Amino acid sequence: MTHLTLETLVSLREAGSEPGAAAAREHLDGCSECRAEMERLHQRVARLKALPALCPGRDQWPRVATRVLAERRWRRTRFAGLAGLAIAASVAMAIVVSGTPRASATAREEIAAAMERSQALESALDQYEPERRMIDGRTAGLAQGLEDRIAAVDQELEMAEMLQQQSREEQLLKLWRERVGLLDALVDVHVTRASNVGL
Amino acid sequence: MDSYLLADADSVLARARAGDSAALETLYRAFEVPVYNLARRICRTAEDAEDVLQETFFEVCRSIGRYREEGSLWGWVRTIAASKALMRLRRNKYRETEILNDEVTGQRREDNHLRMDLEAALERLSETARAVVWLHDVEGYTHEEIASMMGKTPSFSKSQLARAHVRLRRWLGEEVA
Repeated sequence: MTHLTLETLVSLREAGSEPGAAAAREHLDGCSECRAEMERLHQRVARLKALPALCPGRDQWPRVATRVLAERRWRRTRFAGLAGLAIAASVAMAIVVSGTPRASATAREEIAAAMERSQALESALDQYEPERRMIDGRTAGLAQGLEDRIAAVDQELEMAEMLQQQSREEQLLKLWRERVGLLDALVDVHVTRASNVGL
Repeated sequence: MDSYLLADADSVLARARAGDSAALETLYRAFEVPVYNLARRICRTAEDAEDVLQETFFEVCRSIGRYREEGSLWGWVRTIAASKALMRLRRNKYRETEILNDEVTGQRREDNHLRMDLEAALERLSETARAVVWLHDVEGYTHEEIASMMGKTPSFSKSQLARAHVRLRRWLGEEVA
């Protein structure tokens, strides 16, 4: 008599109906050896569930709490910086309306467009919730690198506010474009690559 | 595993969502052991499991506002922990030596003479196989859920589980002649 393989017995524990499951169940009902093997399987799983819980050697909460606080600070700084820039941009826009050179007006329009694009990308990234998705190590490293560069650009954006008007506009435009490029890459890394990852 | 309950859960949850550090720590204390246990069963080293524990609760603290209460809180935390542990496996890219030994070379070595205890046998499985066994047989995830977390197919999860049981049976000395 051909007995059921362990693979078949493992699959028979599932509620679904695999091809050949009915015949396998029929065999199981009439075969004491296969029933004994199934019982050993059940016992093995029960023993796995009964293994003692392993406990961490060190209290990890202080480290988690420190990271949570650091993240909150970072977010506050980042958003405060962006809000300040938005205000600065709108004030500068008002100056443009009152009569500054055409080149400067164009630069302001481009800065405003880049800021809008940046916000749209941030919003898209938030909705995608990359932190809750699986990515491979290489992609995670890539995403972390981009995050770090965006943080660096944000710092430069804050510093650029202190420059003279002419060079400030040029610098702001350059940085906002760079930020949009980095965010675009980050969205691409999360959305495109994460769906093609395997172990 | 849903028996990991919080006393005064609604209040703790509300305060945690508002960013109350004491409430977040209460969540950590409630789920610290089951999260670490899950991570330790999947990861190769205690250090990796401690990192997963940290990563999991960092994520819990960041995302608690997004918890919709559609399932149990433990179920939500556990899924984050499982994802972090599997991500750690990918990052470390451990060599699956046991599979190489058994499947590529076709050698069974002295396995037929082994009689390990369950802890040792579980530890000896490849990282992927051990993760599937633990997530399916102990934590109760379906093959579809495991496949989704691993970025693989349900068939992959099923075959990993079946092969793992063949090996466990052999190493535990449960094979019938």
